[in-house]
Amino acid sequence: MLRFATRPLSRRFRSGYRWVDERAGTTDLVHKGLYEAVPDRGAWAYTLGSATLVLIVLQFFTGIFLLLTYVPSFASAWDSLRFLQTSDRFGNWVRGMHLWSAYVLILVIGLHMLRTFLSASYKRPRELNWVSGGILFFLVLGLAITGAMLPMDNAGYWTTVVVTNIPHYLPFIGDAIRTLWRGGDFVGPITLTRTFAIHIWVLPFLLLALIGAHLYLLRRHGEFGAWVNYSTTTDDPDREIAERIRRAEPPYPTLRIERQYAAPRKTVGFFPNQLFKDTVVSIVLVAIIFVFGFIAGAPLDARADPATLTYVPSPEWFYLPLDQLLVLTPQTYLIAFGVFLLVGLGSLALILLPFYDRSPARRPLSRPEVLVPGLFLAFMVVILAVLGVNRLYGL
Amino acid sequence: MLRLTRRRMVQLTGLGAAAIGLMLSIPAIGFLLSPLFQKTRETWVRVGALPDLTVDQPKPITLKVPSGEAYDTTPVDRIAYLVRKSDGATLVLTNTCSHMQCDVHFDPTLQQFLCPCHGGLYDVHGNNIGGPPPSPLPQWVHRLEPDPQTGQTILFVKNAYDESI
Repeated sequence: MLRFATRPLSRRFRSGYRWVDERAGTTDLVHKGLYEAVPDRGAWAYTLGSATLVLIVLQFFTGIFLLLTYVPSFASAWDSLRFLQTSDRFGNWVRGMHLWSAYVLILVIGLHMLRTFLSASYKRPRELNWVSGGILFFLVLGLAITGAMLPMDNAGYWTTVVVTNIPHYLPFIGDAIRTLWRGGDFVGPITLTRTFAIHIWVLPFLLLALIGAHLYLLRRHGEFGAWVNYSTTTDDPDREIAERIRRAEPPYPTLRIERQYAAPRKTVGFFPNQLFKDTVVSIVLVAIIFVFGFIAGAPLDARADPATLTYVPSPEWFYLPLDQLLVLTPQTYLIAFGVFLLVGLGSLALILLPFYDRSPARRPLSRPEVLVPGLFLAFMVVILAVLGVNRLYGL
Repeated sequence: MLRLTRRRMVQLTGLGAAAIGLMLSIPAIGFLLSPLFQKTRETWVRVGALPDLTVDQPKPITLKVPSGEAYDTTPVDRIAYLVRKSDGATLVLTNTCSHMQCDVHFDPTLQQFLCPCHGGLYDVHGNNIGGPPPSPLPQWVHRLEPDPQTGQTILFVKNAYDESI
């Protein structure tokens, strides 16, 4: 008894940890998680994936807290958020962080995809990393647009009306989809309940499953990096590459890939090198969200008024390109075959990119066949956004 | 003792899993699809005497009608634009854009209905004349009856549109 009481705290902690470790294998787990080789150059660009993960965790965290007050009913949703705005400074701060981390998340995912696209990291054998990531991107957009509907202020209400009406223009099954989403022919009491269920259960559930797959695939094949990590410096590249593969640390050499790209020229440990940079980026992003969530907060329009004679809706910025496309495609057939064909084919082309870009080239400028269409697509989205801003706010 | 080959065992397990799947999915899918089979509860509302109207000058009035969908029973505010045509007929237009169902606004200087969402345009009779709308503004299903005592024309409106949009 006396002996126990006089043992230093650190030793007591250590023996307690040993007890857990012998039973749960925590040290092994931490080693598996941390001791991995990653390419040495370009590490700041490879922080975008972990930043995305941190922001998604932040979304879950703040989202669960919002459930402490938010009521998913057409009659009460606005009142519950109005209450946060007027009487609950910290609740309103959490709501602000939920909104701003969603904004930052969309931007960071965009950058993450851009760097993966430019470095051609999606090529064999990492095709499924890209496919799962592409689906994750669309899941996040789905979460963003369903989230924008929930406040049931004027902005949220008209977003709901327009977005739930878009499926109506799909041939054959469009009306059924609209009715199922709305729970009736028009936006009504069940619409919000269903959108809420999609926002907090259906999409997050799919999101978590795909994040698991995405991370598993990342660990299986290792970080690709970019062409800069694979250049050769000696006169005898074959020997240099063979030497690289021989000395590669797990998870390299990557299997089923061109020999040159099987192992990076030089690697460092994920811990501490990459983890340090990941942490720095995440701290900066979370700090931005922390500050913006408090200062800018999340806006709340006037209570939804389905009988307005004057309200001019303006969509969320990430939805603006699609909204502008709706302006530019008149009449039923153009909407059906213009919007759905354009957006559908564009999305499909994005997700299936690794299956038609199969050349061994990794440098962006030696892949004009995907770089030019990719830039064109991005350019179109930007043009649509600019046209939308001009229409709504008159540049 | 029951003797099974591995093949038979896998087959039986598969059948069992299919049976469980079926039992779980029949009510779930039925529940999911139920809005497709629900009818809107129709309600007629007596709006009141038709106000004086100038020819081709839309006049907005506020109706209180229940949507009649799901468990929604309380009447909510809706808008109708009353338009007198030159031949004396009266239109009871909804303000619901046939494009994405936003509320259209009447612009007195242009003498047109504008949709603020995507720039749809309608003339005073609700005909789509510009922008993305695929069809005219629908009308409220309505009837006009003379009041037997006062002789005024009374407007009755049903919670339904004459065209589906």
